[in-house]
Amino acid sequence: MTLLLDIISTAAILFIVAAGLLAIFGVLKIINFAHGAWLTVGAYCAVVTTELGLNPWFALPLAFILGALLGGLTERFIVRPLYRRPLDAILATWGLGIVIGQLITLWFGRDVHFTTALMQGTVDVLGTSYSFYRLFAVLAALAIGLGFAFLLDGTRLGLSAQAVIMNEALARALGIDTEKVRLATFMAGAGLAALAGVLLAPMTSVDPNMGVPWLTGAFMLVMVAGTSFGALAVACLLFGAAQVVVSTFLSPILGGITVAVLCAITLRIRPKWFARA
Amino acid sequence: MNSKAILLTITSIMLATTAHAADPIKIGVPVGLSGANSVVAPSVVQAAELAVEEINAKGGVLGRPLALEIADDASGAAGAQKAFDSLIFQKEVNAVISMETSAARNAGLPIVSKGNVPYIYTSFYEGRSCNKNLFVNAWVPEQQVPPVVDNFIGKQGAKKFFLIGSDYSFGRGMLSFAKSYIEKAGATVVGEEYLPMDGSDWTAIISKVKSAGADAIITSTAGGAPNVTLTKQLRSAGVNLPYGNLAVDEGTAKSMGGDANGIFISASYVTGIDSPENKAFLAAMTKKFGAELRTPNDLSVPQYEAIYLYKAAVEKAGSVDTAAVLKALPTVSYTGPRGVISMSKQHHAPLTMYLGQVQKDGSVSVVQSYKDVDPGNQCPNL
Amino acid sequence: MRDSQKLRLFLLVGLAVVALLLVVFGPAVLGRFSLNVLTRSMIYAMLALTVDLLWGYTGILTFGQAAFFGVGAYATAMVLMHIGASPSLLLLAFVAAIIVPVVLGLIVGWLSFYHGSTPLYATVISLVVPIVMTQIVFSGGVWTGSSSGLVGYDVLPLGLTGFFRLTGFCLLVLAVLAIVFVRSDAGRLLVAIRDNEARVAYLGINPARVKILLTATLAGVAGLAGFLYANASGVVAPENTGFVFGTEIVVWTALGGRGTIIGPVLGAIGIDYLSASLSGDLPFLWQLVIGGLFVVMIIVLPGGLASLVTRHFPRGKGQQSLKAMPTTADANGTDRREDVFVSIENLGKSYGSLAVLKGINLDIRPGELVSIVGPNGAGKTTMMRCLSDGTEPIEGTVTINGHNIAGLAPEGVVSLGVGRKFQVASIFDTMTVAECLRMARLRHVTPSFTRSETEIALPGPAAEILQLTGIAEIMDRPVSLLSHGQRQALELAMVVALEPKLILLDEPTAGLTKAERTTIGTVLKTLTAKLGFAAILVEHDLDFVRDISSRIVVLHHGKLVLDGTVEDVIHSEIVRTIYSGGAHV
Repeated sequence: MTLLLDIISTAAILFIVAAGLLAIFGVLKIINFAHGAWLTVGAYCAVVTTELGLNPWFALPLAFILGALLGGLTERFIVRPLYRRPLDAILATWGLGIVIGQLITLWFGRDVHFTTALMQGTVDVLGTSYSFYRLFAVLAALAIGLGFAFLLDGTRLGLSAQAVIMNEALARALGIDTEKVRLATFMAGAGLAALAGVLLAPMTSVDPNMGVPWLTGAFMLVMVAGTSFGALAVACLLFGAAQVVVSTFLSPILGGITVAVLCAITLRIRPKWFARA
Repeated sequence: MNSKAILLTITSIMLATTAHAADPIKIGVPVGLSGANSVVAPSVVQAAELAVEEINAKGGVLGRPLALEIADDASGAAGAQKAFDSLIFQKEVNAVISMETSAARNAGLPIVSKGNVPYIYTSFYEGRSCNKNLFVNAWVPEQQVPPVVDNFIGKQGAKKFFLIGSDYSFGRGMLSFAKSYIEKAGATVVGEEYLPMDGSDWTAIISKVKSAGADAIITSTAGGAPNVTLTKQLRSAGVNLPYGNLAVDEGTAKSMGGDANGIFISASYVTGIDSPENKAFLAAMTKKFGAELRTPNDLSVPQYEAIYLYKAAVEKAGSVDTAAVLKALPTVSYTGPRGVISMSKQHHAPLTMYLGQVQKDGSVSVVQSYKDVDPGNQCPNL
Repeated sequence: MRDSQKLRLFLLVGLAVVALLLVVFGPAVLGRFSLNVLTRSMIYAMLALTVDLLWGYTGILTFGQAAFFGVGAYATAMVLMHIGASPSLLLLAFVAAIIVPVVLGLIVGWLSFYHGSTPLYATVISLVVPIVMTQIVFSGGVWTGSSSGLVGYDVLPLGLTGFFRLTGFCLLVLAVLAIVFVRSDAGRLLVAIRDNEARVAYLGINPARVKILLTATLAGVAGLAGFLYANASGVVAPENTGFVFGTEIVVWTALGGRGTIIGPVLGAIGIDYLSASLSGDLPFLWQLVIGGLFVVMIIVLPGGLASLVTRHFPRGKGQQSLKAMPTTADANGTDRREDVFVSIENLGKSYGSLAVLKGINLDIRPGELVSIVGPNGAGKTTMMRCLSDGTEPIEGTVTINGHNIAGLAPEGVVSLGVGRKFQVASIFDTMTVAECLRMARLRHVTPSFTRSETEIALPGPAAEILQLTGIAEIMDRPVSLLSHGQRQALELAMVVALEPKLILLDEPTAGLTKAERTTIGTVLKTLTAKLGFAAILVEHDLDFVRDISSRIVVLHHGKLVLDGTVEDVIHSEIVRTIYSGGAHV
C-alpha cells in the first residue's frame, strides 16, 4: 500500500514539476533551461510570504503572477530574438538561469530558507498512515492536468495553442497570431513552474540551487512525452513507478538516475512510443 | 616625567614601530565564500579576523603582526586549486589555516606540499587524511558518533538503528563507523540507505524506515539542503523515533523550527558551553561584529583556535620556518572556547564532545559532555 | 581575395610561432602562480576546442565534454592510485584515459544520434551524461574517492615547467590539427551537417555515423586532457566530471567565438586565468557578470569576441577550377533498359486517419522520365518521400534496384542509386558553390583531411548543368549570394554528381525563368534519353511536362488514376476533369 501511495505521489510531484516545461516545449519547441530558476523564484515567493507573515496559501497566486511576468519578459527579450536559433535560445535561457540564481543569492543569501507549511501531519489511508501533504500533491497534479485540459480544449487561446503545436506555419497561415500564442504560453509555463516551486517548498529546502536536482528528470520526461499532457502523465506514472521500485528494492542512488536513464533508452529504442500513446 | 619613564616610553614606541615595520606573517584562508560552504564561510572568516585582531593587539607573533589573506575556493576542487595557487605562490603566505570541504582540502594538498607550508584544517571530516604538512583540530567520526549511539542504547533503549546518509565521503565515512560502533555495542543496524548528494526525494527511504521496525535513526547527510529535506520529509511522514542528526548545526536547527524539535546533535562546540574562555570569546565576537555577527559554531571556533595554535607553534619554533613549525605544532596547546586543544595524536586532536538536544524554541540544550574523546588511529604513519 | 588569404595564412602561422615561443620560453618569465594557472587553463582550452568542433562547426550543442574529461582524469588517477605509477603503468593510464572515454563516446553517440533524433535531444542527453557520471563517481567509494576525489598518487615526474610545456605543446598541436582539419575538404563535412543535415543524408552520407565518430574521437581528446589534468594537478574530484563544468566550457566557447578554434582556446585561457585572479575578491558577482555577459553575447554577438576580429578577414578561398570527368554513355547500362529499376507495389501511406496514398503500383525502367502530375494534395510529394526514405512507415513495398527499401534511411536509399532534389533548393547555406559540389562527391572521392583541393572533378552531366547555367564561372561564390534559379541548378548538379541511376525531382522549375526552364529541360532529357538515367518528376507546369516526359502518371486523392504516354494523358478526359476541379474518381 505504501509502495502504491509512494508511486502515485512521486508521479504527481514529477508531473507538477514538468508541466510548465512541457507547455513551453509544446508550443515553442525549446527546452527552457531556466526552468530550475523559475522553480526557485516560486519557492522564494513562499519565503517572502512567510516572512511577511501572510497566509501561506497566498504564495500560490503570487508565484504564478511573478513567474508569468518574468516569463513574459524572458520571452520578449531573450527567446523571441532567438526564434530562428533554437539552440542559442536554450543557451540563453541557461545563462538567464545562472543570473537569476546569483541574484537570488545576492538578495537572500545562500542559506537554506524555511516556509510555513501549507498543511502538516499524516492521514490513514486504508490502514497506512501517510503524509497528508503528499496526498495533497496528487490533488494538485490532477488540478493542474485538468486545468490544462480545459485551457487547451475549452478556450480560444488553447485552441490556437493546439494549432501551433501541430503545425506552426499552417496556424500562422490561418491567421492565428502565433507570436501572441508563444508569449502567452511562455508566461503560463513560467508561471506554472513558479507555482510548482511553491508546492515543492514544504517538501524540500529552499535555497538558490534548489531547482537543479529536478531539472534532468523533468527534461527527459518532457522529451519522452513530446507535446501531450496525457503522454506526460503516463510517462510520470511509469517512470515515477520505476524510480520508486528501484529505490525501494535496489538502491535509492540508482533510483535517483532511473528516470533519466530509462527515458534516454526509451527514446533511443522507441522514439515515438509515448507520442502515439 | 623621569628619565626612566621616558626611556620606557621610547622603547615601547620603538618596539611598536619595529613590530609594525616588520613584515607581517601571512595566513592564507581558502574558504567557500561561494558554493555549498558559503553559508558557514562568513562565520569562519569572522572568527579568524577576531583571532588576528586579538593577537596583533597584543604585539603579534615574534614581534610581527599577523595578516589574513582570504580566498574563495568555491567549496570545490577546481576553486580550491585556484585559491591555493594564488595564496601559496602569488601571495606567498606562511601558513594555510582553513575550514573547507574534503574535495577542496584534497585538491589543495598537492599544492601545499609543492609550496611546503604548514596547513591546519579546521573542519570536522570523515578522517584519515594524512600528510606531513597537514594538521587537524576538529573532530572525526571516532569522536562524534559514540556520544549519540551510547545515549540511544543506554538511555533510550534503542536496539535497532536505521542509518540514512548522502552518498559522499563524509556521509559514508560517518555511517560506516557508526555501523561498526553500533554492532560492537551489541545493537543491530536494520537499514543503511544513501541518496545522491543533490537528491531531495527521500520517499522510498522513509517508507523503508517505517517498515523496517527501527527504534532509532542516525543520519549523516550533506549539510544544508539534503539535511533539511530529509528532516522535513521524515516529520511529514510522521516518523518520531529518537533521531540523531550528525550533520545539523545549532544555527540550522534554530531556523528549522518545529521540525527540528527533539533532534540529537553531537558537537565539539555549542554556544552554551559554560567556561570563561567561551564567554570571553562570545563577548569579543559580539563587540567586534555587532549586528553583523554570524553565530559562532562548530566550524568557526576551531578556525579561531587554530590561529592561536599556529601562533604558539611559531613562538615555540622561534621562526616561521616550515620544518620548525611543523615540528612544534603537535607539541603546543591552546585553551580556547572548546577547552584545551592540542593536535598531539597523529596530527589530530583529542576533543571534549557535547551531546545536545534541540528544544521546542530551537535552542540546543546540552544533555551530556564527554571529556577528551580520542580521535583514534587516524594517521599511524605520521 | 588572394591578398586577404595570404594575410590570413601569415597571421595564423605568426600566431602559431608566437604560441610556440610562449610555450618554450614562458617558464623563464612567468611566475609560479601564472605557470600553474596557465597549465590548467590550457588543459581547459583543449576542451573548449573540442566543444567548438562539436558545437561551432557541427552544430551539436554539448555539455558532455566534461564527462569525457572527467572519465579520462579518473581513469588516470585510479590506475596511478590503486595499481601504481611505474613507467609502464603510466603508459597504461595514458591508454586507459583515451580508450575509456572513446568507448563511452561511442555509447553516448549511439544514444544521441540516429535518423530522426533532434539536436535538442542530443543536447539533453549531453546534459544527462555528466550527471550520471558524477553520480557514479560519488558512489565509487574508495575506488573513486567519492566526494573527496583522489589525491596523493604519483604522477609524471615533470615539475611545474615541464607540465606547462607539455600541455602548451599538446594544446598547440591540437589547435593546429583542428585548424588544418576544419579547412580541409573532410572538415567541411562538419559544417555541411550543421547547415543542412537532411541534405547530407540525401548525398548518401550517414550524418549520424559522422557525428558518432566525431563524438567518440573528441571524447578521446577530452580524455587526453583529463590525463594531463590528473598528472599536472595531482588530484581529481567529482566536479571535474560535472555538468556545471560542462556548461562552463560552453560559456568559454561562446564568449571566445564559436566556429573559430582560436576564439574558444583564447576564451578558455583568458576567462579561467581571470577568474583565478579575480574570483577570490568577488565570488558571487563574478558568476553574475559571466552569466549576464553570456546571455547578452548569445543574443547580440552570437559569433563571440572572435567575430569582432574575423569580420575584418572574410574567408578567402583559392580559385577553384571545374573539371568534367569523361562521360561514358553506358554508365547506367543502356543495354539493360528493360530491367525494372524501381518497382512500387500497392504503396499506401496514412497520417493518422488521413490516407494520403492508396494502392499505388508503378514500375520504372532506366531511361524513362516519368512525370507525376495531379492537383495540390494529391500526394505527389509524399510519394517522393516514400521512395527516398525507407524509414517512413508505409503499406506495400518499394523495391529499388532489386532491394526492398523498408527500414533504409535516406543515405541507404542513396547508395542504391537514388538522388533526390527537393522542392526548395536544399544546399549548404554557409558554403561556396565548389564546397557544396565537393560534398556531393564525398561518396565517390575520399576527401583529404589536411588540405582543400583546388580542382573539382565532376561527372560530365553535372559539369554540363553548371556550364549551361553559368555557375561554372562563379565556383567561389558563397551560395547565399546565388539567385533562386542558380540555387535550383546547383542542387540539381549536386544530385547528378552523385551519379545516381534514378533522380527524384520535386518541382525543379518552380520560380525559374523561361530560359532556365528550357536549360533544365534539356539537361533532363539528355540524362534520361541519352545517358540512361531514370527520373521521376513532380511538376505543375503541364507544358514543361509534355515537352520532356517519356511517361506521365496522374495522381488524384492519393490514387493512381492514369499511367500512360504523353499523348494518352494529355488527351484523356480524366485529366481534364481533374484539373477543372470536378472529378471524384
